[in-house]
Amino acid sequence: MKTNKIIPFILIIVIGLYPSFLKAQESEEKPTLSLNLKYFNNNNTTHHLQVQAKSKIDGKFQMIAQIPVQFYITNDSNKNNLLGSGVTNEKGEAVILIPSTAKVQWLKSPNQNFLVVAASTKKFDEGRTELAITKAKLKIDTADGRVINAQIIALVDTTWTPISAVDVIVGVKRHGGILNANETATYASDSLGFVMAEFQREAIPGDAKGDIVIIASVIDNDVYGNLTSEMIVPWGAKSVYTTNYNHRSLFARRGYTPIWLELLAYGIVVAVWSVIIYLLFQIMQLKKLGIE
Amino acid sequence: MEKLAENKIIEDLLPQKFGKQGTIWVISLIAVCALGAFAYARQLYYGLGVTALRDYVSWGIYISNFVFFVAISLVGSLITAVLRLTDVHWSTPLTRIAEIIAVSAISFAGLIIIVDMGRPDRFYNLFIHGRLQSPIIWDVIVITTYLFISLLLLYFPLLPDLKILIKYKERNGKWLQKLYEFLGSFWKNTPAQFKITDKAINILSITIIPVAFAIHTVTSWLFATTYRPGWDSTNFGAYFISGAFLVGSGGVLIAMYVFRTHYKLEKYITNDHFDKMGKVVVLLALIYLYFNVNEFLVPAFKMKKSEEEHFMGLFTGEFAMVFWFAISTAMLIPILILIFKQGRKPKAAFVAGILVVVGSWFKRYLIVTPTLLHPFLPMSDAPENYKHYFPTWEEWAIAGGSLAGALLIVTLFARIFPIIPIHETIIETESHENK
Amino acid sequence: MKNNENSRRGFLATTLVAGAALAAGCGTKNPFTPEAIEEVKPSGELVKLLSVDGEIIEVDKAFLKPVPSLPAISNDEARVGIPGKKFAMVIDLSRCKNLKKCQSACNHMHQIHPGQNWIKLNAMQDADHTAPYWQPTTCMHCDEPPCVKVCPVDATFKRKDGIVLIDSDRCVGCRFCMAACPYSTRVFNWEDPKLEPAIAEKPYNCETSMPQKIGTVGKCDFCPDMVRQGNLPHCVSACPNGVFFFGDILEDSVTNGAETFRFSELIRDKAGYRLMEDLGTKPSVYYLPPVNRNFPFENNTAEATKE
Repeated sequence: MKTNKIIPFILIIVIGLYPSFLKAQESEEKPTLSLNLKYFNNNNTTHHLQVQAKSKIDGKFQMIAQIPVQFYITNDSNKNNLLGSGVTNEKGEAVILIPSTAKVQWLKSPNQNFLVVAASTKKFDEGRTELAITKAKLKIDTADGRVINAQIIALVDTTWTPISAVDVIVGVKRHGGILNANETATYASDSLGFVMAEFQREAIPGDAKGDIVIIASVIDNDVYGNLTSEMIVPWGAKSVYTTNYNHRSLFARRGYTPIWLELLAYGIVVAVWSVIIYLLFQIMQLKKLGIE
Repeated sequence: MEKLAENKIIEDLLPQKFGKQGTIWVISLIAVCALGAFAYARQLYYGLGVTALRDYVSWGIYISNFVFFVAISLVGSLITAVLRLTDVHWSTPLTRIAEIIAVSAISFAGLIIIVDMGRPDRFYNLFIHGRLQSPIIWDVIVITTYLFISLLLLYFPLLPDLKILIKYKERNGKWLQKLYEFLGSFWKNTPAQFKITDKAINILSITIIPVAFAIHTVTSWLFATTYRPGWDSTNFGAYFISGAFLVGSGGVLIAMYVFRTHYKLEKYITNDHFDKMGKVVVLLALIYLYFNVNEFLVPAFKMKKSEEEHFMGLFTGEFAMVFWFAISTAMLIPILILIFKQGRKPKAAFVAGILVVVGSWFKRYLIVTPTLLHPFLPMSDAPENYKHYFPTWEEWAIAGGSLAGALLIVTLFARIFPIIPIHETIIETESHENK
Repeated sequence: MKNNENSRRGFLATTLVAGAALAAGCGTKNPFTPEAIEEVKPSGELVKLLSVDGEIIEVDKAFLKPVPSLPAISNDEARVGIPGKKFAMVIDLSRCKNLKKCQSACNHMHQIHPGQNWIKLNAMQDADHTAPYWQPTTCMHCDEPPCVKVCPVDATFKRKDGIVLIDSDRCVGCRFCMAACPYSTRVFNWEDPKLEPAIAEKPYNCETSMPQKIGTVGKCDFCPDMVRQGNLPHCVSACPNGVFFFGDILEDSVTNGAETFRFSELIRDKAGYRLMEDLGTKPSVYYLPPVNRNFPFENNTAEATKE
């Protein structure tokens, strides 16, 4: 008898606890966070690091936002090596420009290591990843006959040395992308580190003066990272900017109603409402007559 | 003899207190309105999500109801203005009925548009940010204008009656007396005053016709200015106006019958009135039928790809039941009833009027909803309930509440003011006898 | 007006960090840095950075790229748009496999109500014997937008840069624009959008279309917040097959991030067209016909929705 009463009791407790067991298990199994660290050299002036945090959730990689990250120069997460910190955005990205405080470390060697550490959060464990790059520069220039020259050089010991067999993209800088200078998309640098591209984009629109920005770019190179270099040349077509933003039309904003419509609408409104107002005056007139 | 007749007329036509029936009627109207108000409170709190409206059918029975109200309000201009200007005198006893239907319907048309808005709290944006290019702004302007003109057209002929009402101080009670005095104490029946009101009523009768055409044409343009199948029509203004005159006249037939039987007005709203009004309804139903043939036969003959689904849906598809019901109850059956002399007897005409009004309501529903279910691009990537529409109880309650509200205004008006113009009736009988 | 705009664009020097180039002199002029950055006046606040050569340089905060600290865009600016630009999109139907990555990225980035989509993927078949294909539809950002024509309160508007936006702080929820749009592109916030507090508390901005508000209309906005920073809309960068191309038509180029084409050549060579040209809406979205397809047409919508 007694045991019979106890069994359901135990069952209830077990069932009641079951979800919390599950929860505990879930929290133990945080999905792994993978970090991808990239180095960018911008026009041989400033440079920055970008990290992207993603994780495989339900069999799909997803970008993870709201991950606090810390960037370090060298592999050592020493306080002195801290470049700065950030939080990943909706695209899982966080960026840090290399600050002046990194000068001593940066000048030590032609090769440079970086480290990014993602702090542990409710959903993810701590993560870290390293990146090693060799310092390089990408230079852009033009030659006669509308040819774009780009040269890639890297620091070997203390001298800047041309590097061969690096893929370089050469083209015109456009919104969100690079329009190739001609049919060829990518060039490999020769023994002197040069790539040469003939500019064949005739009458490509430039600004009001016909200026365009040409750009050379090395993308995701294993050794040198990402390098870009830009230059302004007067090779484009002069563009004249016109807009019908301030034209009166049916799809324009308030106050830009077509004249015919304004005349029609206001004409009708004035005509009808003057009748109504006239009649209201007539009521006053009636009142006056009544009081007399 | 004449003196006696006049007293009799006044005695018959003065507004009467609600009887038992009247009280039940008013209470039930208030109850329906209260339910509608409760449903609207829910909608205000939870948003338009309480309705069955979704991205494809983004306009539903609120907009149908709006079109219905605008339509029925047009009758004010028909009975008072068109018939007055054409020197038709038999309609005199019906003018005030028509005018109060117009005023209450147009008021509720405005209200129901606010109900349909996702953000009624921003209604003022229409005034501070109003954009003249938008047909909605045109609608706001013409509806306001029509309301004012209708009120004036109600008020001017009421002045001589107010003088009569003021005389019955004990009968009126304190509040009504105050109201009557406020509205018409200055009226002294002087020829100078009559000259002004006669002129004013004439001006109004002329003005109200284009304005009435404008309200319903602009309402039709809310649809016709889009590309949608079934709405993209150059015929829409005329189609809407003809339909509006029909439903309004149907509404007057009902009101005539109800007031006549309830207030024992057989001497004033005579069989002859039903006969004539019945003929008017037949004419209007035929005109509306003609426009329907135009509106459906011509595109159906071509059967453009984008319109095919829409029209087939109406003729034989998912809306066929409602479509043929609306066509037959709003037009075919009323024509068949009213075309015969027997059918223009009060009771039969009353039934025909109800058919017209009910059928017309569903007709408005068919104008709004099926079109929205047939967009140009397929309905993809939307939950299943986005691809159908059947109103929720909140929508029915609000729509019903607004209809009840409009009826309540008419009822209360008839309680406060003589529903048949006393003064004009006296004049009419006098001139008849003098002949 | 025109001159003004052009001289303004000439203002700023090159690239990612402008500071150094500025110091070099005004000779260099860059027509195509994001206009917003050009328009930004130096904040006066300098940041000390390390150059590639190991020198310390000072750059004004306002010019920091890729993370310029731009001031928030005012409602007036958001209504005018990005000056000197005219955006367009090209959708290559031959590449679309109905993966819906564009849609999920868009839904996620704009916190769209579950079940609703700003990008819809339509399975199209033009006639009985023609081949079916997938057609992603965004807002067409028409040059003569029927939705804008009918808006009673200027809540939806056409900007200088061609983008049609909605101001959810202005919208009265009449839904006339939804009826007027022949592309069924607009959605309505029927219920209170259930947003995380962090998003819901952000100040509303028509360029981000966030946070969405109950009782107002929403639609694809061409991600003007991304575009203002020189980036691509979310759908463009999310598509693994490079279906979407985006660009400034005044630059005559469109890109999906990886590939960049001259817009006029692409449209000419691949016979680009626009939807419902006969309606006269003049869309800014062009389609490339589904020829030489990368993928066979498979309608696995049922499975797709299960996911």
